Amino acid sequence: MLKVDEKSSSWRSRPGTIGILILGLLLGVVFFGSVGGFMVHANSEKFCATACHEMGELSLEHKGTIHDTNRSGVRATCPDCHVPHGYIPNYLAKFALFNDYWGHFVTHSIDTKEKFEAKRSELAQKVWRYMKSNDSRECRACHTVTKMDPDRQSEKAKARHAKLITDPSITCVDCHFAIAHTEPDGPGPQELTAK
Amino acid sequence: MPKRVIATVRRMVSRKRAIVVLFVGFAMGVIGLSLFGTSMIFTGTEQFCANNCHEMADNNTIEYRDTIHDKNRTGVRAICSDCHVPHSPVPMYIAKMGALNDLWSHHVTHSVDTKDKFNAARPEMARNVWTYMKGNDSRECRHCHDEAKMDPSKQSPVAVARHEKGRKEHMTCVDCHFGIAHTVPDGPGPQEIEVDKSLIPRSAIF
Repeated sequence: MLKVDEKSSSWRSRPGTIGILILGLLLGVVFFGSVGGFMVHANSEKFCATACHEMGELSLEHKGTIHDTNRSGVRATCPDCHVPHGYIPNYLAKFALFNDYWGHFVTHSIDTKEKFEAKRSELAQKVWRYMKSNDSRECRACHTVTKMDPDRQSEKAKARHAKLITDPSITCVDCHFAIAHTEPDGPGPQELTAK
Repeated sequence: MPKRVIATVRRMVSRKRAIVVLFVGFAMGVIGLSLFGTSMIFTGTEQFCANNCHEMADNNTIEYRDTIHDKNRTGVRAICSDCHVPHSPVPMYIAKMGALNDLWSHHVTHSVDTKDKFNAARPEMARNVWTYMKGNDSRECRHCHDEAKMDPSKQSPVAVARHEKGRKEHMTCVDCHFGIAHTVPDGPGPQEIEVDKSLIPRSAIF
């Protein structure tokens, strides 16, 4: 232990140590700020909707839906529904970007409308399974069930939502699917099991 | 195991102290910035704002309950910080500094610690908030409400006509939408307040 103390005192007497410490501090701040900045930038509507033409097509489907234009102008853009809001799930989701790069630059799996339509059902099922597996976590980041006012909902919505209390296995996306994108052929969320 | 770790660190320290110091600084920078960011998020939560002092809990929070920004058809809400804390970094830091004023009055001057004192100060406090909101063209409202994405066909005819008129006369959100989450005080409303808009910058960062 003594040895360490001697070392650390000789450490302090060495000139330039504070300078290096401050340099490291700045590098850390810049690095962490850049990560945070990238997370914010990669979650902007501009980035998601225009960075590649595959997504450009998808964003056109979103235009004019209730999550794009509505009475109050309070919107949900791409990341609000498709990127988790918690730190760790967010970082994990960002890594999935590599899959998009791979598909865009290497396999060209959905680079034409025909290819995309052929894969639409498969892609939709992936998203629905993910949403079912976390109880529609991204929906609930904005929509607080306990703060919904039944008096402002239609009779039908009230009745359907009331039904959920008796069957908690049903989640938002089981009924509210294809609300921002074209509905594919094949099974819907209620026919799928969570992954 | 711990001994071996200490020995390794010691060896590194003796041989490559510059790199070790650089790394320690780096770690301090990352941890410091993340703590700072986390505190910004924490002090913007409903839990923190609504419950931390009885001035907020007994008045503003109770008034806000069941208004349209708390409870509505879709359950999409706006909490304290959505309307009252700027969303871009620099104005946010400045606003957080303003909390020092709250601490001062809570602990030292006790200026609004009873319901009577609060109601007596209400017109002045409301006027401060309205002046701020008018000065930046209701920036915090517009952070959620995108005017270009409002669908007039889903609004009432009165709302459509009023919005049209408001645009023509260069009015801002809070000129009409005031007292929507808190009790309306006596005295002049936002439309009676004159504001020099050039004094308050409003770009993305500032």
